[in-house]
Amino acid sequence: MHPGIEIAEADPAADRRLIEGLADWCDRYTPLVALDGEDGLFLDITGCTHLFGGEKALLDELLARFFHQGFDLHAGIASTPGAAWAAARFCLSAIEEGDEEEALAPLPLPALRLDPAARGGLESVGLRTVGAVMQTPRAPLARRFGKLLFLRIDQALGRVEEPISPRLPAPPLAVERRLAEPVGTMEAIERLVGLLAATLRTDLERRGEGARTLQLTLFRVDGAVSRIAVGTARPLRDPDRIGLLFHEKLAALENRIDAGFGFDLVRLSVLSLARFEAWQADFSGEDASEEERLILFADRIRARLGDRAVLKAVPVESHLPERAAAAVPFAGRAAAYETTPAPAPQGEGLSHMAKYPPLRRASRATSPPLSWGRGKEPCLAAGASSPPSNGGEVVCEANRSGGRTSYPIASPLWGEDRGGGTAPRLPERPIRLFSSPEPIAAVAAEVPEGAPASFRWRRVFHHVAASEGPERIAPEWWRGDGSEETRDYFRVEDEEGRRYWLYRQGFYGEGPQVPRWFMHGIFA
Amino acid sequence: MVSHAAARGTVFALRQKIAKIEGVLADRLAAPSNWPDDAGGILLRHDGQAVGRGGPPLLRTGAASLDAVLGGGLPRAGLIEIHGSQTRDAGAVAGFALALASLLLKERAAGPLLWIGTAGIFSETGFPYLPGLYARFGIGPDAFFFSGPDRLQDALWIAEEAARLKALAAIFLETGGTSRRLDLTATRRLHRRALQAGKPLFLLREAGLAEPTAAPLRLVVAPARARPRSTLAGPLVHSIGPPSFTIGIGKSRNAASGEFILEWDAAERGFRERRQEDHGTENIGAVVSASSDRPHPAPAARTLLAFPNVEPIGGKENAPHRQPSREQYKTHRSA
Repeated sequence: MHPGIEIAEADPAADRRLIEGLADWCDRYTPLVALDGEDGLFLDITGCTHLFGGEKALLDELLARFFHQGFDLHAGIASTPGAAWAAARFCLSAIEEGDEEEALAPLPLPALRLDPAARGGLESVGLRTVGAVMQTPRAPLARRFGKLLFLRIDQALGRVEEPISPRLPAPPLAVERRLAEPVGTMEAIERLVGLLAATLRTDLERRGEGARTLQLTLFRVDGAVSRIAVGTARPLRDPDRIGLLFHEKLAALENRIDAGFGFDLVRLSVLSLARFEAWQADFSGEDASEEERLILFADRIRARLGDRAVLKAVPVESHLPERAAAAVPFAGRAAAYETTPAPAPQGEGLSHMAKYPPLRRASRATSPPLSWGRGKEPCLAAGASSPPSNGGEVVCEANRSGGRTSYPIASPLWGEDRGGGTAPRLPERPIRLFSSPEPIAAVAAEVPEGAPASFRWRRVFHHVAASEGPERIAPEWWRGDGSEETRDYFRVEDEEGRRYWLYRQGFYGEGPQVPRWFMHGIFA
Repeated sequence: MVSHAAARGTVFALRQKIAKIEGVLADRLAAPSNWPDDAGGILLRHDGQAVGRGGPPLLRTGAASLDAVLGGGLPRAGLIEIHGSQTRDAGAVAGFALALASLLLKERAAGPLLWIGTAGIFSETGFPYLPGLYARFGIGPDAFFFSGPDRLQDALWIAEEAARLKALAAIFLETGGTSRRLDLTATRRLHRRALQAGKPLFLLREAGLAEPTAAPLRLVVAPARARPRSTLAGPLVHSIGPPSFTIGIGKSRNAASGEFILEWDAAERGFRERRQEDHGTENIGAVVSASSDRPHPAPAARTLLAFPNVEPIGGKENAPHRQPSREQYKTHRSA
């Protein structure tokens, strides 16, 4: 080996990142950029060339910019992806429409994007150029080398349509501004967002729609691309509000966006749209109702602090206490418009459903319980079970001493229509629930089923002065793997008047282990 | 109202003088005779301007002696500090604040409540739990939302932004311990904004020491032993009746102090003051359990008439005996 040679390990992951970064940067020419293998990019520049002064000018600018960034690359333009591929790889800068056959004919077989086996086979029978293959009768070749050969030829010549698969979905609407002088300050970017949003407004008005997801793309001079997306609870058109949302988002990201030498292209795209309900304003000049202000406020918090920063509790039909209320992102009182379902809780958010081990799989992998679309109210009744003896009403001594088999398990009682009365019989539920039940050490619990006489929770001893219960809550056997145990809940009050919700998991005398006790909530 | 600045100054000075003679606060002087008599003759003034024209200026808790000591009731707008001495008392602190908000909502459903707490305090003292809020305070899913940012400064930012919104009925800001961020300046900003928006902002401080803040009123809440439930045969031993709170006044412009034991009556949706002679409670519940596993179950023992404007959770057509529809079934399963 040559002593001066420099050896670097191949790093496919880094190569991949690089090509993806280049693809991001190529977004400035067209929204439709596709990766091609490990070392190529497809750009669908249909309808984009006039912005750059024609195909040739676009190609020249692209090559010049890449050259200044230190990349040496070949590019080709043609009216089909197959021909463009060949043009780029075999240094024909542009193939005019209709000239494909003529341009491709002298090229060797690799220009047809064939696999090596087929190529070797063709070469072994003396067909060494694309032109030779095209002039040979098709049927024998197709029988011997498969249909792919002629599919590739037809694609290259434009007889068969070939779609490219862009990396990112093309936004329905996008406006951009190219800057002669790069900007780097947040104020300048926010001003630009305002200008772009004002341009966007006319387009949105023409379509009768409003934006639900907006993305701001910042192209840095040296090729790095930052994408900043904000979502809105209601379709949005107003440039001021769009500006406000991006103001919050940029304030939250201020330390994470590196402006470097500045951004020379700023694009505002609408990723999703929804029908915009127009309301007539009154003469007071206050066009925004209080409800709308509230939603804008929630949107701003979400833009700054993340999607799960403002939550609304919605009832879920389940008798398990931790599942009876689910937290979903707040989107106003009534969502009578088409919405996309809210994203599933990511990570350890505020969802207090996500921490129960037997339920984790199910509750994480799926979407939240309600979709608010189609004009329906959140439409689930909260389930709650309680034995009728102590459903928040009264505890009878007779029932305390009764055997545990006498309790009916899990009868939903919310809003049950009892004869003529429609009043819900609400069970006693704590006002605060721990996201995961905390184990406590219960002392001198009445066996088999009674409240403990005292318990230790967070290293503090509590003497139970009064207790009510048990309220038996069985696990949902139709979920999970059935390993959960039945819980008996007790309302207890300590000597200072704090009221807690405890439960015992499992039964005494069934199985080798002594049942464990947990603290689940706090009452008022 | 006098508009000229100098004239206003004179009026202020005169009013202060009269207040001193009468021994009341200048901003709560008796209303002029042409003022609608809606608050027992008390007119609340702020910066010399009458406030609370839309309704009674003070929120009466319903406990007569507490109202008297507070000079007619709690202010309807501005910052109200509610302290708990230990983190364990978070149930009582939050319960008392929610009860006050429930009183507000009882008069007029003015909008949803926003509960802001840091993620730390929520994980330490528990997340707000909707079925409990609904059962005890009549706060339904549409009347309540909450936010739990990780850092206190984010929580403060949310509270400041929310304090301007007129659409909210009340705001709770819950913090644990003491923090330098929640100083006189920060609380004054909150107070002024809440005053301008005309709604209360409850600052719940779990395990907090009394620090100088801009709040005109600080209540110290501790739990109190609940009385046993009453039945026809007398109080039921070892049972737990309605939630009770011990309310102390930590700071008040009336400079009066006292300690009061209040009970929250969910059926009446109001506070009741507990006196020494009270033993049983009325209207608490059924004596015998209602049968539920029969074809025609007995009607519920009571109806919560005090929550008229709250729909049963889920709406009428979603009574629990009805199965979820086919479209909903998937979301039920996955919830």
